Amino acid sequence: MQTNKQVLTNMIVKESKIVAIFCLLILSLSSAAFAEDKVCFEAREGASSVTQKDIGEELKNVRCSDTTDGVLWWGDPFDGTQPMGDMPIEADYTHGEAVVKPRTTQLGLYPVCGLACHNGKFPPPVAADAPPRKLTMHTDLVPDALNLQHGKGGIWCLDCHDAKTRNKFVDNAGNLVDFNEPQKMCGKCHGQVYRAWRDGIHGKRIGEWASTGKKRWFVCTECHNPHDVQQGERKSGFAQLVPEPAPLLPKGMDNADHERHGSGH
Amino acid sequence: MTDHKLPIVYDNEKAAPDDDKAAPDSMSRRGFVKKVGDVSATSLLGTAALMTNTDDAEANTEWAEWFQGNYRLMSQEEKAAAVARLERRYSAEYDKKVTVDSTPAEKGVLFGYALNIQKCIGCRRCAKACVEENNQSRGDQEIEWIRVLKMEKGDFDASKMPDGYPDSYGIQVGGNAYSASGVVLEGEHYYEPEKVPEEDAFYMPIQCMQCEKPPCVKVCPVRTTYREPDGIVVVDYNWCIGCRMCIGACPYWARRFNWGEPKLPKKDMNPKTHYLGNRPRMKGVVEKCTFCVQRTRKGRYPACVEVCPVGARKFGNLLDPDSEVRRVLATKKVFRLKAEANTYPKFFYYMD
Repeated sequence: MQTNKQVLTNMIVKESKIVAIFCLLILSLSSAAFAEDKVCFEAREGASSVTQKDIGEELKNVRCSDTTDGVLWWGDPFDGTQPMGDMPIEADYTHGEAVVKPRTTQLGLYPVCGLACHNGKFPPPVAADAPPRKLTMHTDLVPDALNLQHGKGGIWCLDCHDAKTRNKFVDNAGNLVDFNEPQKMCGKCHGQVYRAWRDGIHGKRIGEWASTGKKRWFVCTECHNPHDVQQGERKSGFAQLVPEPAPLLPKGMDNADHERHGSGH
Repeated sequence: MTDHKLPIVYDNEKAAPDDDKAAPDSMSRRGFVKKVGDVSATSLLGTAALMTNTDDAEANTEWAEWFQGNYRLMSQEEKAAAVARLERRYSAEYDKKVTVDSTPAEKGVLFGYALNIQKCIGCRRCAKACVEENNQSRGDQEIEWIRVLKMEKGDFDASKMPDGYPDSYGIQVGGNAYSASGVVLEGEHYYEPEKVPEEDAFYMPIQCMQCEKPPCVKVCPVRTTYREPDGIVVVDYNWCIGCRMCIGACPYWARRFNWGEPKLPKKDMNPKTHYLGNRPRMKGVVEKCTFCVQRTRKGRYPACVEVCPVGARKFGNLLDPDSEVRRVLATKKVFRLKAEANTYPKFFYYMD
């Protein structure tokens, strides 16, 4: 009986090995197929990406630029979105249905953030009023924490990130703010910009134009990098982009020297 | 030309292919002569009857297109027939189900546009998104409705004002001679830096301003271009004779001409079209921005508004005080391009 069992277990082990190999094969195949799908960025390079796919009626969810990998056209503006929820500061304005794309799906470290390294006990929580120190980790996100340009030296990591719950923000009143709602965080300091964004005259929206229509709102961090707001010497809230190619020159014209300014006329 | 056997609805029943041998041109011609008695019209109709004898979907629909009226004067039935004809032809031509919409303007809607000239970074995504959406010609017949101009930042430094003009500079328009004088509408079209925005430059996209008093409409000798009730200026491509008077009249360089047969690859063709908007054009007709009539009359933002990565483009109903464009007009510093031309554009530039 025992030998039989052993044989049986052996077989199961073998089979499971084969199954595992098959799984690996399928996985690698599917990942190969996945690699062929075009991935392009929506507003800020590296902040939000979307994979091109068919949505029927000869349409794609997005069409991407061949030269810059930026999204040029949305077939479905509400793909992958969820309701935005309440506006953080109430106002007497009418608005239609507002949806956003969750930011947490775009953040590489988010799934482990708050669990693996920062679990609330380890490393020992830092007091919120502790003096700024150099970062040993995450220097790819913030190269020099002591010289953070955001707030012109007035703030540092723990003014936005909660010291214990690292997968949440903390606002100036001590409330935890979800990574999916950065507007609740940013609006605390940038009130004027926030109000313009709320009224639809700052920032990007796609969907329906009617003031009562359904729109996808782009939230702050989809366009602005909070860790690099000054873009070095440029003093601009928006990072530089690769432009799309220039238009076709008029027939018979080899170059555009005629319009270059500055070097004498 | 096409291998596709599509269900063809014949406008001239006498010339259906089943009795193509029994539809002799001589007989019908005699009949026409008796009825009409006009030689030139007869020969035209005779040719048309001959063309319907072929199996070619394109030929069958095209001749009917030649004889259709001005879109504005068509009855509802004629419009439906024209739209159905085009859907058949485009579907065969582009190997996909193409829809041609004819949704009219909605009451209580006047489209307006606002562009934040301070935010624009000159990435040209609007121009390319417009091409993706509106089925413009590609390649060596490239047509773009939006043009982004790179402008120098003006310098009005008073300390330099008495310096005068160096000899080599010639006559200057205002401002100071040594550095770029103010802003004249003289930008670079073909700038190609590695990244935008460049230092000391700002960018000014121009496109159709959808004027309330459009000079292009005034000059059109065949009245094929006109202002729709929701404020957009459209072209009935089938009625356009290609005289290009409108191109000369437009102060904003908003109109383009199809000098050659448009080149639109099948895979790039956007199958959701509008009769007055992005349906494929033919050689010899003028085209222009329509604020994406095929999208905006269905509630969607224009393609250029959606693509702008910095959110510099705002669009909405000028008659709705809660619309984004009205909020811009109420709270920002706004100007219109060449306002002195009394064209009353509904395209506003603004600054924060």
